[in-house]
Amino acid sequence: MKSSRSSWQVTRSVWHALFLREMIGRTTSDRFAWLWMVIEPVALIAMMVSVRVFLLGGAKTIVGADFVPWLVTGLMAFFLFRENMNRSIGAIDSNKGLFTYRQVQTIDPVLVRCFLEGSIKTFILVLFILILELLGTQILPDNYLRAMLLWFSLWLLGLGVGLVLSVAANLIPEIGRLVKMISLPLMILSGVILPLNYLPIHIREYVLLNPIVHGIELLREAFFSTYQPVSGVSITYLGTWVLITNTLGLILHLKFSEKLKST
Amino acid sequence: MIEIKGLYKRYHGHHRSDWILKDININIPPKISVGLIGKNGAGKSTLLRLIAGIDTPDKGSIKVNCSMSWPIGLKGGFQASMTGRQNVKFVSRIMGAPKSINEIISFVENFAELGEYFDKPIKTYSSGMKSRLGFGLSLAFDFDVYISDEATAVGDKRFKSKAKKIFSEKVGCASIIMVSHSEGTLKQFCKAGIWLNQGKAYWFDEIDEAINAYHSSL
Repeated sequence: MKSSRSSWQVTRSVWHALFLREMIGRTTSDRFAWLWMVIEPVALIAMMVSVRVFLLGGAKTIVGADFVPWLVTGLMAFFLFRENMNRSIGAIDSNKGLFTYRQVQTIDPVLVRCFLEGSIKTFILVLFILILELLGTQILPDNYLRAMLLWFSLWLLGLGVGLVLSVAANLIPEIGRLVKMISLPLMILSGVILPLNYLPIHIREYVLLNPIVHGIELLREAFFSTYQPVSGVSITYLGTWVLITNTLGLILHLKFSEKLKST
Repeated sequence: MIEIKGLYKRYHGHHRSDWILKDININIPPKISVGLIGKNGAGKSTLLRLIAGIDTPDKGSIKVNCSMSWPIGLKGGFQASMTGRQNVKFVSRIMGAPKSINEIISFVENFAELGEYFDKPIKTYSSGMKSRLGFGLSLAFDFDVYISDEATAVGDKRFKSKAKKIFSEKVGCASIIMVSHSEGTLKQFCKAGIWLNQGKAYWFDEIDEAINAYHSSL
């Protein structure tokens, strides 16, 4: 069998095969795995809402948006980022056997996993929007294009961070643990559950270093045109992070792929 | 034709590490089956991995102008939680499946003789079953060179003779580069030999000579 296929054809067939494989892995790994994919975020959001409404009182604290849609968009956007980051870390390790085949590169499982996660999360977001709309809550985005752009940017940010961490966590295993540890604090610091507008200005300065805040706040603004995002958020800042993390991730994969394959 | 020029390889451990392979210069002519012999840790598997392209040399180069299989070995690239059939499908897909996927699956299914285990997860397989599957899978594709790391030592007597028969059908259009500790297997499959000793590689046109050199070094 002569290798008459172009690099692009080879890569595409690898992506196709990996995608089907990851898909089967995700949906059949345990009983009702496919159902849990939907139920998990629903249950989490239901819990968050009830904690907020019953324990803290249902006071209207968010300016320009209803609490439930505000929370749903924030949580889903954060999950989109977090899943890309977390799943990428395991991507290389759990596909180690495949590097026996020369056509599979270390970056392939990471890209495929992120694509799969992105599709799943997008599907769930659309499902949420449909259900909430049917229940009579206003959640349809006011600016569709901008919402899609920001959703995609957050996915790209997750991909970039995932690319970097997939290499880093394989070379230095402690990094993987650290990432799992900061996962929850990061959710709070990203203004997913509690609005950041109440933070004093000198603290807000530091919170705004986190690019996820920019993505989530702008996404909410695209959904609810009356919503006032934390002042100081900018799409340029988010874009810069996307570019830097993705470039760094690609460089790391290029530099260390041989090392990752052989360990 | 495989050209190995000035090849150096070492693994970086936590300790000071010596070269496993030092300045290897060898040409393997086309359609010649070669056996690699040497002591444990002499670098046989390392050289095989380098030739197969899953590892890169620290210095030097390897030029290959024929299609080459992945190393057929015990640790083949299988996903443990998936069935044999799913794994075979996966590999046919990344190979771009020159034949149709179904053809490859039925070949492997018949060859590996796993019975109903073909549809059970790989983690339930015995090591013999795993290597039978791996061996069958690599034979399902037409390569110029097959690379084998102790792979032909699998299965019972009947399976071995079957493997040998299919393999000898392929000889003429394909050759094999193999590592084995069984001299019988080496003599059966290989014409030429490479003897690895203290980081150096020595080429022998006849496998018997390589085996003799290995014996006299012990």
